[in-house]
Amino acid sequence: MEQQEKTIEQRTTRTVIIDCDVHPYPRNTEELRSYMSQPWRERYNGGGRGFYGNPVHGDRLDARPPQGGPSGSDPELLRKQLIDEYGYAYAILMPRAFCNLQPDPDFGNAIAAAYNDWLADTWLSKYNPDGVFKGSITVNTQDPVAAAREIERWAGHPHFVQVMTDSGSRAPFGQRQFYPIYEACEKFGLPFAIHPGTDGMGINVQPTPGFPTHYIEWHTCLSLGFQAHLVSFLTEGVFERFPDFKIVLVEGGVAWLAPLMWRLDAEYKALRYEVPWLKRRPSEYLRDHVRITSQPLERPDNDAYLLRMFEMMDAEYILMFSSDYPHWDFDSPTRAFPKLPESLHRRIFFDNAKELYKL
Amino acid sequence: MGRHVIGPVAEFPAGTRRMLVVEGRPIGIFNVNGLYYALKNSCPHQGAPLCVGTVTGMTLPSAPGEYVYGREGEIVRCPWHGWEFDITTGKSIFDPHKCLVKTYDVTVEVEDAPGVETYPVTVESGTIVVHI
Repeated sequence: MEQQEKTIEQRTTRTVIIDCDVHPYPRNTEELRSYMSQPWRERYNGGGRGFYGNPVHGDRLDARPPQGGPSGSDPELLRKQLIDEYGYAYAILMPRAFCNLQPDPDFGNAIAAAYNDWLADTWLSKYNPDGVFKGSITVNTQDPVAAAREIERWAGHPHFVQVMTDSGSRAPFGQRQFYPIYEACEKFGLPFAIHPGTDGMGINVQPTPGFPTHYIEWHTCLSLGFQAHLVSFLTEGVFERFPDFKIVLVEGGVAWLAPLMWRLDAEYKALRYEVPWLKRRPSEYLRDHVRITSQPLERPDNDAYLLRMFEMMDAEYILMFSSDYPHWDFDSPTRAFPKLPESLHRRIFFDNAKELYKL
Repeated sequence: MGRHVIGPVAEFPAGTRRMLVVEGRPIGIFNVNGLYYALKNSCPHQGAPLCVGTVTGMTLPSAPGEYVYGREGEIVRCPWHGWEFDITTGKSIFDPHKCLVKTYDVTVEVEDAPGVETYPVTVESGTIVVHI
């Protein structure tokens, strides 16, 4: 497989793009079940969040395969609408297993493992002759020791480039019960990506004060959980304990980052006393340890405001383009951003991801 | 400014639509309750094929907690992000003054029918024409 890979220059004709959030789906529940052993195979019924569904449509209507099956399940259509349409170098695949909502950690582990076996067998090999698809190892954070074993099972695979989990959790991710996962990520050089999902579902807490009424509230407030996770990673000293560990905040919003860091840095001036293991101001850990993906990019009426935000948040080094294909709030690589200076465009759309994932 | 014949009225009933490319422009033509409208088939937001989106109604402006549903068949939602547009005007629902899609005139023209001049001509026998 590796020998067949074309270079980036051979594969792309236009702007070189790495898309850091693309969702592949099994063709049906049975396909995923076939990668499970009993008793999970007979118990698994698929599963998403069950409520807070988008009342309009949850995915791009033109991404539904004409022959049937869910959006994102047909590699030919995905290649046509995304890889070929925009001239991608790589698409980072983020399957949606929703295993973090399971009260039974064994069931959660089985779902995570099945998604990994499925992804490795299909999108990362059968559908991947040119190596354009890079994958994420799904883990189940309610069983960190098992999650670390799952990471080890895939370490060294040529196309898995990171570990991923849902933002839904029972605790902020900087806390020590999760450290077996981060130890494994650091050991194998795999960033830890957090993607929205399972917040307030199953066993998880909802990051708003209680449950909002509408999808528009729930979806807008997804960024709150990301903010809490990030503050936790920083203040708990995770990046001091694991100096080569990196995290990726996927689909959690962008424009909140700079003001949150101003607030945290201000608190640190007095409250460093409480977290003496921090050797730098909290914001100074970002460039070495944190990346954030762009979609759904906030677009104020005045483009200049967003460009200033990019400057304030160090976007040149920490922001990575993502589309969220095939979901409803897809960001087009050619239309979602205001015009950027060429060097900044290249860093956001290519260099930052290339360096993080060592592509 | 071009005149493009789309086809006979009889083959384009209420509630149907067609996508075409006229003078290089992608266009969607809709029959909404017997009246014809044409919109550019490209969403002003991110360029998605707007006119293939769901044709539907909308929740009309109402008091908090009230739902008033109406305008069935007069609204098209973009197939990507779900933004609502009024098919009859091309204007978006959320910001009709600043966010709108180009519209084109559509007329129904009665064709001359040589040799049958004594027959009455009805709208059903007309031809739909879009003007670019």
